[in-house]
Amino acid sequence: MEDLLIQFLNNTGYAMADYRHVIMIIIGCVFIYLGIAKHYEPLLLVPIGFGILIGNVPVFHGLGLSIYENNSVLHYLYMGVTLGIYPPLIFMGIGAMTDFSTMLARPVLMLLGAAAQMGIFITFLGALALGFEPKEAASIGIIGGADGPTAIFLTAKLAPDLIGPIAIAAYSYMALVPVIQPPIMKLLTSRKERLIRMEEPREVSKREKILFPIFGILLCCFLAPAALPLLGLLFLGNLLKEAVVTERLAVAARNSIIDTVTILLGLTVGASTQADVFLTGKSVGIFILGAVSFGIATASGVIFAKIMNRFLKDKINPLLGAAGVSAVPDSARVVQIVGQEEDPSNFLLMHAMAPNISGVIGSAIGAGVLWSFMM
Amino acid sequence: MYGLEAISANNGWAMALLGITIVFSGLAFLSFFISRLHLFLEFWENKDERIAKLKKRFQKKPEIKKEAPVVKVPDNLQEAMAQFKMLTTRIGDPFSLPRLIEMAEMSGLFHPHSTVNKFIKAGVIEPDGKGFFTWKL
Amino acid sequence: MSTDIQTLKSLDLFSAFSNEELGFLVEIIDPLKVTEGEILTQRGTPATTFFIIISGNFMVSFKNGHAFTLHEKGNVIGWSTVVTPFNYTGTATALTDGEVLTISGDELLRIVQEDAPLAQKFMEKINKVVEERSPFVTGKIAGTSETTDNSEV
Repeated sequence: MEDLLIQFLNNTGYAMADYRHVIMIIIGCVFIYLGIAKHYEPLLLVPIGFGILIGNVPVFHGLGLSIYENNSVLHYLYMGVTLGIYPPLIFMGIGAMTDFSTMLARPVLMLLGAAAQMGIFITFLGALALGFEPKEAASIGIIGGADGPTAIFLTAKLAPDLIGPIAIAAYSYMALVPVIQPPIMKLLTSRKERLIRMEEPREVSKREKILFPIFGILLCCFLAPAALPLLGLLFLGNLLKEAVVTERLAVAARNSIIDTVTILLGLTVGASTQADVFLTGKSVGIFILGAVSFGIATASGVIFAKIMNRFLKDKINPLLGAAGVSAVPDSARVVQIVGQEEDPSNFLLMHAMAPNISGVIGSAIGAGVLWSFMM
Repeated sequence: MYGLEAISANNGWAMALLGITIVFSGLAFLSFFISRLHLFLEFWENKDERIAKLKKRFQKKPEIKKEAPVVKVPDNLQEAMAQFKMLTTRIGDPFSLPRLIEMAEMSGLFHPHSTVNKFIKAGVIEPDGKGFFTWKL
Repeated sequence: MSTDIQTLKSLDLFSAFSNEELGFLVEIIDPLKVTEGEILTQRGTPATTFFIIISGNFMVSFKNGHAFTLHEKGNVIGWSTVVTPFNYTGTATALTDGEVLTISGDELLRIVQEDAPLAQKFMEKINKVVEERSPFVTGKIAGTSETTDNSEV
């Protein structure tokens, strides 16, 4: 009886926990707090934060409890991440909920989405310089795309061991868009530039909206076939939305499917951050490089917008460049906030959605390109 | 291996340069295509929408003429007006409307919100143009 | 319980909207009965809901005691749901019983992502309100009347 009790007590989480578990549980609680109290990406941070709690309850191996044990329920759910299933499904949902018309109305703004992807490649170089393996460096660089699903997709293909830290870094920085971006945007623009008003976008016909996903997939994926899983489903989702006759499927994609997948993705990515796997020197490096990557992406977009203004007759507000990182729609919302600080009646939100959406396409192409380079 | 040496050894420069070039050209290509798409589609678009727009442009909205308000206090408001006026002697004229309502509530006056609204509707109270209100009688 | 298209059509705010767009909007707009003295928005709190007046009379007051009143159908309250820093800048109180339509700030943001032209039309109308009312927030009030009888706001 006594032996049984001692054995039981030794197998409790209290007995097996060490300081690393405590650190991770605190991180999980911070995520949940940021999501619920601060409204920073609550749909992502709450499941991830709770997943961190689940992943860091100390368990003994053999019972099939840990996400890294082959026979555990969490492991099967995690296969959606490691096999790259969840990110494309999320992209399909994003496609089914996104109206591309601001981008179609002023396609030149797409270049801002391309410019912001500089962050990916500059960080890739930085990670190589810091001694990361090329595949790891590519996975770290993609954090600059500010696109959680893309980062997870590429990391699952190239450096599966780093999924936890990279996903956490990517989603953390996405949630911190309102904190990270404004100082960079203000630093790189003058008040006069921030006051620039954008001309009203032209009306986009339904036919254009229907044709766009068809030509989009063909043009982008013939150029970068490795972006097919992500862009394929993004454009499919958008076609379902715009075709009208497939509204039922679009509703499923943008509601039940994306919600289910987001829960599973957030939960399993959070649970994959077990203290012994997560709290390493590499994770620290990933977080630092992730922040740098995000900063460079923001700055690249803004600077490129200023360069474009030298050639454009109708000037664009350079703040829009910051929306080129693909955190939809948060970075567009930040553009709106920073613009309104100078002029409360200047509405940039609609215009910022154009580089924002093209940033999603750009980061998926970037991921595809990096993936193909590493094969 | 670290630093520039690591980048060169792993062919990093070429990959980064080529990578950003591909992303740029991909989006530039798509951007160019989109910018031409609507022109191309105009051949097929019907013109009904334009005609409708033109029609809309010629439709003028009837102007609404405002008549000068005649300030006439209904009998049932006379007593309430006296009470509210008494309150504003303490806060001056022009006065803060929320402050007047607050004082009326503290004084236990009946339905202060709707009474103030009746004053405004009847033109007994008017905005002074600076965010405060003033008695017209 | 959501509102109906006819109600929206009767508002100047939605005059430029097509039936299809209004059909989309009715799904996210809910009517709400308010009673005299009820507070719709509290200054300084997160701006979560946008209101459109259907009936009744309302007062919006500010920190320094400034206020304006709204009496017309179609007047709006709570434009801070789309304007930085997404906190209500004034306290809106019902002066009489009435009815308002409500839209959540999150739904407005969703429209921006999902239907840009619709959001653009909506924002254009809101823009007018912001321009008109921002002096109350900044405290720089010109010598114009604040009692807004214009159904466009």
